[in-house]
Amino acid sequence: MSHPSDTVHLPWGQVGSQGLGSQGVHTQPMEMMLHLKQAIEKHMRQLATRHQQQDLVPEEKRPYQAPGEQEALLGNLMYQLVNLLQSGATDGLGLQPSGPSLDVKGDAGGGQWQWAQSSRQPAQPGYQLNDPEVTFVSQHLSRRGIDISASYRASFRDYKMYQGDKYHEDENTLGFINLGLSENKLCLDLMTERLSQSDMNVIEDVLLQYPDWSGQPFLREEVARFLTCYCKVPAQLDPENVVVLNGCSSVFSTLAMVLCDPGEAFLTPTPFYGGFVFSSGLYSKIELIPVHLDSESTDANPCPFQLTVDKLERALLESTLAGKKVRGLILINPQNPLGDVYSRDLLEECLGFAKRYNLHVIIDEIYMLSVFDESVTFHSVLSIESLPDPNRTHVIWGTSKDFGISGFRFGVLYTHNKEVVSAVSSFGYLHGISGIAQYKLCRLLQDQEWIDTVYLPTYRSRLQKAHRYITKKLKALGIPFLNRGSGLYIWINLQVYLDPCTFEEELLLHHRFLDNKLMLSRGKTYTCKEPGWFRIVFADKPLRLKQAMHRFYQVLEEQKQRLRVKQLESTSRE
Amino acid sequence: MFTLPQKESRAPATCPGPTSIQDLDRNYGDDLERECSRKPDRKLPEYCGASGPTAMLSSDSSCLSSRGRVIKWFWDSAEEGYRTYHMDEYDEDKNPSGIINLGTSENKLCFDLLSRRLSQSDMLRVEPSLLQYPDWRGHLFLREEVARFLSFYCKSPNPLKPDNVVVLNGCASLFSALATVLCEAGAFLIPAPYYGAITQHVYLYGNVRLVCVYLDSEVTGLDTRPFQLTVEKLELALQRANSEGVKVKGLILINPHNPLGDIYSPGELRDYLEFAKRHELHVMVDEVYMLSVFEKPTAYRSVLSLEGLPDPQRTHVMWATSKDFGMSGLRFGTLYTENRDVATAVASLCRYHGLSGLVQYQMAQLLQDHDWINQVYLPENHARLKAAHAYVAGELRALGIPFLSRGAGFFIWVDLRKFLPEATFKAEMLLWRRFLDNKVLLSCGQTFECKEPGWFRLVFSDKAHRLRLGMQRVRQVLEGKSQVAEEPSSYQTQKPRSQHRMEES
Repeated sequence: MSHPSDTVHLPWGQVGSQGLGSQGVHTQPMEMMLHLKQAIEKHMRQLATRHQQQDLVPEEKRPYQAPGEQEALLGNLMYQLVNLLQSGATDGLGLQPSGPSLDVKGDAGGGQWQWAQSSRQPAQPGYQLNDPEVTFVSQHLSRRGIDISASYRASFRDYKMYQGDKYHEDENTLGFINLGLSENKLCLDLMTERLSQSDMNVIEDVLLQYPDWSGQPFLREEVARFLTCYCKVPAQLDPENVVVLNGCSSVFSTLAMVLCDPGEAFLTPTPFYGGFVFSSGLYSKIELIPVHLDSESTDANPCPFQLTVDKLERALLESTLAGKKVRGLILINPQNPLGDVYSRDLLEECLGFAKRYNLHVIIDEIYMLSVFDESVTFHSVLSIESLPDPNRTHVIWGTSKDFGISGFRFGVLYTHNKEVVSAVSSFGYLHGISGIAQYKLCRLLQDQEWIDTVYLPTYRSRLQKAHRYITKKLKALGIPFLNRGSGLYIWINLQVYLDPCTFEEELLLHHRFLDNKLMLSRGKTYTCKEPGWFRIVFADKPLRLKQAMHRFYQVLEEQKQRLRVKQLESTSRE
Repeated sequence: MFTLPQKESRAPATCPGPTSIQDLDRNYGDDLERECSRKPDRKLPEYCGASGPTAMLSSDSSCLSSRGRVIKWFWDSAEEGYRTYHMDEYDEDKNPSGIINLGTSENKLCFDLLSRRLSQSDMLRVEPSLLQYPDWRGHLFLREEVARFLSFYCKSPNPLKPDNVVVLNGCASLFSALATVLCEAGAFLIPAPYYGAITQHVYLYGNVRLVCVYLDSEVTGLDTRPFQLTVEKLELALQRANSEGVKVKGLILINPHNPLGDIYSPGELRDYLEFAKRHELHVMVDEVYMLSVFEKPTAYRSVLSLEGLPDPQRTHVMWATSKDFGMSGLRFGTLYTENRDVATAVASLCRYHGLSGLVQYQMAQLLQDHDWINQVYLPENHARLKAAHAYVAGELRALGIPFLSRGAGFFIWVDLRKFLPEATFKAEMLLWRRFLDNKVLLSCGQTFECKEPGWFRLVFSDKAHRLRLGMQRVRQVLEGKSQVAEEPSSYQTQKPRSQHRMEES
């Protein structure tokens, strides 16, 4: 999934071929902006709490949301300011941080200025907020509309830049390499070939007509068969328990809507996939309470980031004492970003815990076929003989990761709870999948022979190879990481490159990667409580991986240098 | 039949039960209560018939959140007829006694043309980029094609810009997204009768209510035709809403209109837009039937064709291929707005309302084939619509049934008031059910928030043999009405489904 991150500012000016290695000249103004932003955010938080306290008294008379709107506007303004700065639209103001001197380094021929412009235009098509009217215009939006826009801009800035400036081995060697987005690019050749076969191209009238909003029956049947087989389910799954929507984000979003009222909460072992934060804040307004896992190994914590029921119990108790209404637990298995695959025992303990407290369990198994270490066995929650609380256990799966077709927009819910099936199906209108795409998916899932003999073996061996390559590089660099044998990513520890070890420094390091056209995702995105962790995706072509690791190495070398200078300075001061 | 607890039965069809709503959202509870009390005659059992409410109320609802229960209520009740139909669809060979669907507004006349076009080799391309995460607003190649297409077919004075286009999986999603980003704790005005599903679209995520601008069938005063929308009516409805403390943020216009088949003249359009501008209302114009004007297509004017829109920053146009290209199952809808902030905000939600890259590619191919559209598809489609319409209109005339028909859309707005023993929605529902019992599905006026009981929408865009059989079944019900009316036990056809559902839950 595309990874939301904080407001990340990538100065576009750093695109000269030499500029790749050069230090971000924008980093300084960016730092200032960041501090300003943090200060304002802090101020807003204080304002908000003050408002909340005030609101307790006169509840009925709140026709004017002026202060709230002002806050949102102010926030929006900040984002725009940041945007402005990075879009280079500040020429006239004399704020242009990347002077033409930098661009001169580029060797793209022709006028440097033109080159720089054309290189940035595709990066942000149509969304350069250099329109002085934006502040006024945004008054057209509702407050939540403003919030949504702002959070999207903040979360998906990297993604947008990447979309407009992707690395290409021939056409755009200076483009972004994205090892931040968890996208499986290893098997696009196989998928393209399979999807081009003639059996995929059937047009029937039912495919063009209004569907059953929980998904075409033929597809739900196929999904049930598929999951029965690949989740090793003891008894045949029931197609009536399947709802298909356009993506797992949609499934999660609808589940959050129908299981939780605004302000209610789900426990979430942390670090966890940042998309959930985005999703829960967007429509459903539920709270995700992090159950923080520690990287340090102790007696009580034999394994780094080990999930235990004790930790869940404690988190539930604390949340309840704090007056929160906890409705459920979110599990991701195989875990994102850790790559953990839960043992059957741990799974059952977690489900037992949830049952004790009448908690729903949303379990996201979107990486279930992406376990590449043969010594690791994945246990789907559906494989458990008798689920402790089947009515409160809801499984999510999709083809985005395991089949590397994130652009297909297909997500599945499996739940025994008919009420949840119905309630989620109400959203079918809003998250429907094209009949034509449903047909193709059905054909794909049906072709078990191809999946077993062609696709999965190739996919896993390519994952293994890519994983081996990256881990070898990481070892050579002396970078600690978790080696768990599943998923498309590795959770790495870059704490030694931060001084001091703070989230601000983590963000700066993140920027330095971006300055070098390398996208990673940082721990903060996953609500990790310790600064310095990054997730690096390795499910990419060898050539791109190699190039990426070269950029990675460069950034870290420079960072080392920087830290050395800093230390020298401080010792010399003493 | 069954009885419902009193408090639950007060809920009007289009705004869910008051008790649950208040739990759901304290802020809007008051508004809703007001809305409910304004329409006291709308009772849940009337609207949703046999299957919905008991299934909901009798089962273990502790698993769902309070808003989840309301959301589920939509599923259980709102589309009962639609689902009954899906369980027992008519098929010439396999199920000749199945239900004929003249209720769902779908164009089933041109499947042959479409399937041929969609099977051509240019449609079958698979590229890696189509399989990966997209630009959430829609692939650029598609947005470019949409802009070109709309510029041409809406006759916009200037070329439309791809950056103003956002592509989503259908107009339902668009309504939902616009409600979410334009309105909070407020409402949209909508002339009624209207396509009832919009209620659900703007409510589910957006929590936005609709305030009806009720139109009359009677022609009086300034009205020139039945169900005429006038600025006076808009003003009055807005005033009333304001006086009741409902904050109105926008106006929804459907043009060509569903279910009336009306086409707004450029003058009328401008008047409505000026009204909206005066009150700083957003206007969402749903033009999903714009190419389905089969009588004098040139008379139709898209809002995008107007020179100098009164308030371009608050004018948002929707279009989709569901109707005009008879592909409701394709889930392709598009927004055109000059307001970049609205475009961005809607795009922010597209992660949840995206459509498959392969389908985006096919849509681009389709929309760019102006030759096929102009020379093959549209003439043939219009000719078939015209013929089907002429047949149904003739049948209705023969039955002496008054109807409105303006040569646009897939449906005729039929006046069956004289077939109701009393002018109530209960009687309307009973008549609707008798149609269903006789295996023909129509939509009754209440689902369109029509304030006069007895109007029905009859869809004619179906194959001749189905249409003939459907009309025959309609005639049977209307002519044999006296016998059936005495017999309230005609719930037979509903029972299997509802029992089935209750057992499941």
